Amino acid sequence: MDETVAEFVKRTILKIPVAEMMTILQAWGFLSENQLQDINFRKRKESLVHDLVLLCEEKRARVSDAALLDIICGDIDLFDMKQFKSSFKKILQRALKNVSVTFRDAEENAVWIRIAWGTQYRKPNQYKPTYVVYYPQTPYAFISSSQLRSSIPLLGQALTIASKHHRIVKMDFRSRYLDSLKAIVFEQYNQTFETHNATTPLQERSLGLDINMDSRIIHENRIEKDRVQKITEEVFGDYPQPRLEFAQYKLETKFKSDLNRGILAERNEPLRCLVKFSSPNLLEALKSLAPAGIADAPLSPLLTCIPKKRMNYFKIKDK
Amino acid sequence: MDSYHTPQSIPRRSASSRPKEHCLGATPLQRRLESVRKQASRAPASPPRRVPQRRSQLREDVDPQKVAFLLHKQWTLYSLTPLYKFSYTNLKEYSKLLSAFIAAEKQKGLAVEVGADLNIRVSFSALRGVKGTHRDPDAVLVQILSKSPLPSESGEVKVLWTGWFCCVFGDSLLETVPEDFTCLPLFLASGAETSTALVGTWFQKTFDCSFSPLAINAFNLSWMAAMWTACQVDRYVATTEFLWSVPCSPQSLDISYAIHPEDAKALWDSVHRAPGEVTQEEVDLFMECLCSHFHRHFKIHLSATRLVRVSTSVASAHTDGKIKILCHKYLIGVLAYLTELAIFQIE
Repeated sequence: MDETVAEFVKRTILKIPVAEMMTILQAWGFLSENQLQDINFRKRKESLVHDLVLLCEEKRARVSDAALLDIICGDIDLFDMKQFKSSFKKILQRALKNVSVTFRDAEENAVWIRIAWGTQYRKPNQYKPTYVVYYPQTPYAFISSSQLRSSIPLLGQALTIASKHHRIVKMDFRSRYLDSLKAIVFEQYNQTFETHNATTPLQERSLGLDINMDSRIIHENRIEKDRVQKITEEVFGDYPQPRLEFAQYKLETKFKSDLNRGILAERNEPLRCLVKFSSPNLLEALKSLAPAGIADAPLSPLLTCIPKKRMNYFKIKDK
Repeated sequence: MDSYHTPQSIPRRSASSRPKEHCLGATPLQRRLESVRKQASRAPASPPRRVPQRRSQLREDVDPQKVAFLLHKQWTLYSLTPLYKFSYTNLKEYSKLLSAFIAAEKQKGLAVEVGADLNIRVSFSALRGVKGTHRDPDAVLVQILSKSPLPSESGEVKVLWTGWFCCVFGDSLLETVPEDFTCLPLFLASGAETSTALVGTWFQKTFDCSFSPLAINAFNLSWMAAMWTACQVDRYVATTEFLWSVPCSPQSLDISYAIHPEDAKALWDSVHRAPGEVTQEEVDLFMECLCSHFHRHFKIHLSATRLVRVSTSVASAHTDGKIKILCHKYLIGVLAYLTELAIFQIE
């Protein structure tokens, strides 16, 4: 090993706090498990580093290996999957004597967790498990609706502590389609199309549509149709919408009549309403409302904010 | 399979509403409905004007326990033309004849029913008190019952299918019909559709009548919503809810709009200033207020969509001709409105 490389390796290893040494070296994967087992991590740091550098020399570490170690060290928020899993499991097992936890590593660095819940005296019920999909590089976890309400706080706690976050907040965002939730939460649904359509002028396209469909549309109508089309595309984009099935709004707002007949004028209390929109593909349906003339364009921000706010349960009150 | 023929020549209001329909009635059909409406009181809360003295007699006749089974159940609605030579003294005979008919059809393999091996018998009975005036004929209840084949359960009888025929304030029809005919224009059924078809076929053959499914359009759904919101109830058992279906493509969209019943009542009271009967203008205004409150938040014009279902503590109704009555106090009132719709469809 070149002297400069040796120096580089030494300095990189010196930067690692001893407590995290084992974790990082394992993540690095350059030294074998056996070799790592033989190391005495209780030595003084200098001496420990010296031993490690010797090992690296024996294995003929190259600059690229050292660079990799540097990258791993540089990641301060180092996520240790093993530690997360073990910590998560321990927390649940300490609280409930009977619980079975299974992990599966999935694509995109996600981990799928299956939890079957029991009690102090009863074995875990394997037929009503809760599923969690956690993306460690993000602050998001997706939890399948649990039939056991009492388990949710504990689950939240386990996730928070094991992932070394401070607290967990439930989002008002639900859907049967995990992919759609992911697409909206991680803002993945418009990435493929953004650059693709930017160059096509909108005006040309919509005029083409008019000519094919109905030549009786008079000029004013055409302008309005174009305007509506343009606004709709600005809001929803030109790509297939992620699939959500419903949105729910709890309204507590005063009745304001534009009819000027003094209806409910003396009443100070708001109208308590619950509005639910449901559709096999809610966002696609909402997108088609203004062009169909059923809604005004621009559509209400209460509806268009669903993907941006990542919410589909809202409580609206007068300000 | 469908044994009900829809008479093509009779002018029927289409089930799918056009948005204009629930504005002021402009067509002759609407105007006629309005005049019929003004003759008999619309608001169940105020007594019917024509025979006020009969109301107390009605209350005594209607045994709440006997009609309790009619409540809290979903019924599918049909209109029925007058029955030729139907007699209330022959109910037992009708029971036997219909039982035999059903058994024969089953033998032919035409009736596909769950539990076809069970012994079946039919029961015809008169439902006393389910009527508007003394001129209305008595309502008739038909039930298909099963007898358990096991001796140990010989006492247990299961109701497989229920249908009842009634006429509530049906004077406009009664006046036009000759003596040999019995007018029971409103038919309500609950149970397997195949059974409904069988019973219908037998009735058509035996009494030379015809059934038609009774759809309820948005115009009438709005009236029902307004009238039922106007009713005084001791206790709200259900929220006031409207369901709209949006005709957008490619995906369908349903909008459910529920409002707290107290708030709905407050809105109605504010609209219905003058005491007395409910008017078309008030119904329109009530719906307009609800729609404008919705539009303020969502910028969607509900009037451009299709009202499909209304639901209140009194009753709930679906455009496909389904009704569920929740409140015993207004049973007669609801049936009166439905009778009127049925008569309108027949004529």
